[in-house]
Amino acid sequence: MLTAQLEPLAASLFSLMAIACLVLAFVMLGSRWLNNYLYAFAAESWIIAALSASVAYCGGYPELYLIALLTALFRGLFLPFLIWRIMRRLDVSRELHEILQPSSALVVGALGVVFALLVAYRIGDSIGLASRVAVLALTVMLSMKLIGFLMLAVRREALSQILGLLVLENGIFLGAQILIPGMPLLIEIVILFDLLIIVACFGVLVQYLVANVGSTSSRDLKRLVG
Amino acid sequence: MLRDSVLQICQVLTVLLLSPLLQGVVLQFEERIQLAQGPGIFQPYRDLWKLFHKQVVVPESASWIYLIAPFVAFTAMLTVPLLIPVLTDFPLPLSDMGDILGGGLILTLSTFIIVLAGLDTGSAYGGIGSSRAVMLTILAEPALILVFVGITLLAKAMLPFVVNHLLVENPAVYWGPAHLFLLASFFILLLVETDRVPIHSSTHIEIYMIEEARILEYSGPLLALLKWASMMKQFILYTIFCNVLLLPWGLSHRGAAIGVVGSVAALGLKFLAVAAAVVLVETAQARLRFYRYQEVLAASFVFAVLSIISTQLS
Repeated sequence: MLTAQLEPLAASLFSLMAIACLVLAFVMLGSRWLNNYLYAFAAESWIIAALSASVAYCGGYPELYLIALLTALFRGLFLPFLIWRIMRRLDVSRELHEILQPSSALVVGALGVVFALLVAYRIGDSIGLASRVAVLALTVMLSMKLIGFLMLAVRREALSQILGLLVLENGIFLGAQILIPGMPLLIEIVILFDLLIIVACFGVLVQYLVANVGSTSSRDLKRLVG
Repeated sequence: MLRDSVLQICQVLTVLLLSPLLQGVVLQFEERIQLAQGPGIFQPYRDLWKLFHKQVVVPESASWIYLIAPFVAFTAMLTVPLLIPVLTDFPLPLSDMGDILGGGLILTLSTFIIVLAGLDTGSAYGGIGSSRAVMLTILAEPALILVFVGITLLAKAMLPFVVNHLLVENPAVYWGPAHLFLLASFFILLLVETDRVPIHSSTHIEIYMIEEARILEYSGPLLALLKWASMMKQFILYTIFCNVLLLPWGLSHRGAAIGVVGSVAALGLKFLAVAAAVVLVETAQARLRFYRYQEVLAASFVFAVLSIISTQLS
């Protein structure tokens, strides 16, 4: 396992990047402007790409360089560009339909991180994860998943639901990079294309919403008629 | 022993005498960044001098709380410097009276008594100011307590001197995520507690006032004492932020005279840096609506929680 024999410097670098990703997830959770979500998501993707590259360097997995490049291009540039295009076409800049205030969402997110830490400790104990970095990666992975779920649940704007889904996926990807860096290349590429399809599908869905309901809020989807 | 006692008195005097200067510097920075001339950095001293030579006017509706509040607040601010490293990085006599929580208790005591005084006279603005100040305190307190918990978990002690030594000796801890999150969280609290812009208004109109609205009924020497106490509170919070968390270097190690002078100079440099950062935030950020204060403080809370999480992992 990679995390068992890390140098201190590499370990602290990994922790820093993982925690930076978590902070950016909180930025998304706490902001009111869709633009800020998008920038935070792009920045998070770039950090994950840098993390892949440094895992490749420290652990000696050359194929991860390719993954890092693909992550930066797809998640850091292409997906944000697609979402930005949808946003520009719809002419929405501000999050309007909130169930939970950003401040309450931040506090709930913080509680989610505490929960994730406890779960990570339990998992780490039961499968014998010795290193701190592995527990940290598990914590960040679980808490980014919880934050992604939270964003899906408390936001009704269709665009922020796409981003919630992408954050959730980013969390899983980040954890996988640190915990099992040797994941086969093919699977990672398949995941990247899946994401592309998700965003394309959501684009179609949003277009449908605008055409038939007249807004992009899922709150207006009340009738169960095809 | 005698030298240590003298040093302890010097710590209190430093806070007492230099706090108007810090206020003057921050205000002057602000004026300069708005391309105005500014009154000069010694204006707070002149204001205090003027106020101390005025007559005391007490409202008819005021009770004894109105009269004792300035003295309690001022004394509380004279007490806190005993507990924290202002000039030396080793504990001086009586600095074991209280730990970080004790210092926090005394700072909150002065807030509490001024809130009571604001309510005491029964004027409308005093009541508004007190209720706003209490709401801010309620929102800020969870984050503050969690910062204390984070510091305690980081250093395995609640004494500011231990934290200072730990951060000086271990660069790994200094640059660790736990400490950096504590810094972010405490910086937000610093802005909130020292009446700066994301929360407080820079224009002095009663409708925007929070801290000043509580003391609108005061005049003369009593007002001077309250203003001085609030400047000292700002100085103390800057001291805790710089000497304990942000820049724990540059304190007198042996307690010799030259070292103490040097640490006063270092304190000046540190405060200039922090004041520049504060003024930068004030310039870049507009004042928040009243019902959005919680967002800033929720961010501070989240940083404190993240810091505690990282102390558990490192």
